[in-house]
Amino acid sequence: MNISFLKSKTIILVVFFLVTACFLVQAEEKDIFTVALTGKYPPFSFYSQEGKLVGFDVDVADKIADYLDHELKIVTTEWDGILAGLLAKKYDAIVGSMAITPQRKKSVDFSLPYYESGAQLFIHKKDKGEFTNIKDLKGQSVGVGIGETYQHYLEDNYPEINVVTYKSTVDIFQDMLNRRIKGFVTDRLVGFYQIKKADTPFMATGRLLYRERIAIPILKERKALLAKINNALIAMKKKGELTEINKKWFGQESKSNRKEKKMKTAIIAEKLLQGFGITLFVAFSSIIMGFLLSIPFGVILNKRKIYPLYLVVRTFNDFIRGTPLLIQLFFIYFGAPQVGIMLTPISAAIFTLTVNASAYMAEVIRSGLMSVDPGQKLAGKALGLTNFSIFRFIVWPQAFRIALPPLMNAVVALMKDTALIAMISVGEVIRQAQSIISVTYNPMKYYFIAAIMFFIVTFPLMKIAGRIERKIKKKGFANA
Amino acid sequence: MLKIKDLTYSYSQGATALIDISMGLPREHILAILGRSGSGKTTLLKCIGRFLTLQKGDITLDGESIYKMERKKLRHLIGIVFQQLYLFPHLTILENMCLAPVKVLKRNESSAKKEAKEMLNKLGIKNLADRYPSQISGGQAQRAAIARALIMKPQYLLLDEPTSALDLNTSKELGEWLLELKAETTFVVVTHDVLFTKNIANSGFLLSEGKLKTKGNMKHIVDILGLGDYQR
Repeated sequence: MNISFLKSKTIILVVFFLVTACFLVQAEEKDIFTVALTGKYPPFSFYSQEGKLVGFDVDVADKIADYLDHELKIVTTEWDGILAGLLAKKYDAIVGSMAITPQRKKSVDFSLPYYESGAQLFIHKKDKGEFTNIKDLKGQSVGVGIGETYQHYLEDNYPEINVVTYKSTVDIFQDMLNRRIKGFVTDRLVGFYQIKKADTPFMATGRLLYRERIAIPILKERKALLAKINNALIAMKKKGELTEINKKWFGQESKSNRKEKKMKTAIIAEKLLQGFGITLFVAFSSIIMGFLLSIPFGVILNKRKIYPLYLVVRTFNDFIRGTPLLIQLFFIYFGAPQVGIMLTPISAAIFTLTVNASAYMAEVIRSGLMSVDPGQKLAGKALGLTNFSIFRFIVWPQAFRIALPPLMNAVVALMKDTALIAMISVGEVIRQAQSIISVTYNPMKYYFIAAIMFFIVTFPLMKIAGRIERKIKKKGFANA
Repeated sequence: MLKIKDLTYSYSQGATALIDISMGLPREHILAILGRSGSGKTTLLKCIGRFLTLQKGDITLDGESIYKMERKKLRHLIGIVFQQLYLFPHLTILENMCLAPVKVLKRNESSAKKEAKEMLNKLGIKNLADRYPSQISGGQAQRAAIARALIMKPQYLLLDEPTSALDLNTSKELGEWLLELKAETTFVVVTHDVLFTKNIANSGFLLSEGKLKTKGNMKHIVDILGLGDYQR
């Protein structure tokens, strides 16, 4: 009894001590100003080449923390859940270029705006006199990023404009230079930044299509913090500190940013090789697995012994060969999670390409098997060989040799098809090239390098296929 | 003795190919089964080779039904060389010969090769060992196919129309060659070529319209048939 009483006393003491410690730690944490942003929105927040989080928003958050006399802590999070995180008190504020909207205002308070931006039309400098505002572009093509609000805005308000969607700014810029499109609409500041970075002859024209005021959302109950932040913003504006940050990221004079355009050759080479490694890995693992699968499929297709099984394989094969690989990729990558099958991009790619390869190769193997004289089997039987031995040592070697050249062609085709897996964000060579181009703005060079990388692999394959074909013809048993 | 008893066979299309055939094939060097095309001789060959399912009657070897025999044993006792030969085009003649000994009789590769070489030597065609079927002539291919069958040391070796692809001289040479080998096995030559078998077969069986018309020594057969009718 006594002992246990003593024990519980110590426990109480320990608990008391721990709780106090916690309070002490928390008190210290009050000096930290935690801010969220995405880190994926250059020039507002992004990772520099040295891996440091930098940008306009980062600098603004830093300055505010100075005024609050707090230590700044930045959390990067996805845009989707950034407001939910604030409501869950994961951070004190969002300094992530969030526009003030009536809907957002229902759940959070906004500080004073720290910059204003909006949808801006940009045109080629050559068209300076011709297009002065959006209305002048009637009947012309105008580019926007796919899924951006600008697309819907243009379609709703200017139906006579031909809106062309692009996957990235790089593509938009390329088509601007090619003069396929006469203008593009994007966020005013983002547009300026990218034009400067890419060093392209584009300019803004006309007023903002619509205006957005960017501010810092804070929990409604934290009025004191809101006031402090507003005071900081007012002071920053007065002292010209905001203008300075603005100049740093968007100003014409800041040539230092130009350096970013130059990516180190070593980094480019590493990225491309890494991407090509993934390409080869995906291609060859699906070729090998697809080939192994194609043998039983080819046998089933050739034999038709078990008719229902034949019918299933036949239908499946026809379906796979009769539908675009891209849709199959999307179906597996985006569709399968709906039934609880969550595949990583690479495994989705390998799975789809394996199935695809097996379908094409099974046809080749079927025709190879078909071109072997049935008498060969009879002769094997007369010698006492089992059905398996007949297949393994007599029929298959002949079928395989006949099938080898078309199999090689299938391999080459599949190699090239791996380019499509960039669409489900596998970091293969095309995707790497795209990311390099987004920095260097040199699509011709890097797409050409990517093409050469493919060719280095496919060319010998094609040569080998040709050589085998000639060899088989010489031996004289290819009646196919 | 290879015995055929009351053998009747009809194809599903209704044609009756063999009607009530009974005959005994003694171990007698070279036998001939003769008949025009359509006489049923190919069906008979397929029955002896167990490539068809028997409907009526039986075929026995020394009293044991070949249709109840284990695969390995049967193929060891009765060999077949098809009209089209079916040499394996992806293998050399030597490899063609070694496949069955290695895979069926489970000999090891090197002893099978040695045996095959000896066989080729004995048959006087050792120059063919490393050639592919596409690289040899029709007469050589016929011999190679016989060599491939002989290496299994069958007691009976059925030859289906061995002269069909050969000119007169080459068939004559083949006949002489078979005579030299008659100690190896009993050759059963199934053919329409009376001329070819006339001088080499010990006895013959004549099929006509699915029935056994007559049997006896070759003189007897030739007397009944005459030569002209069956010549090409």
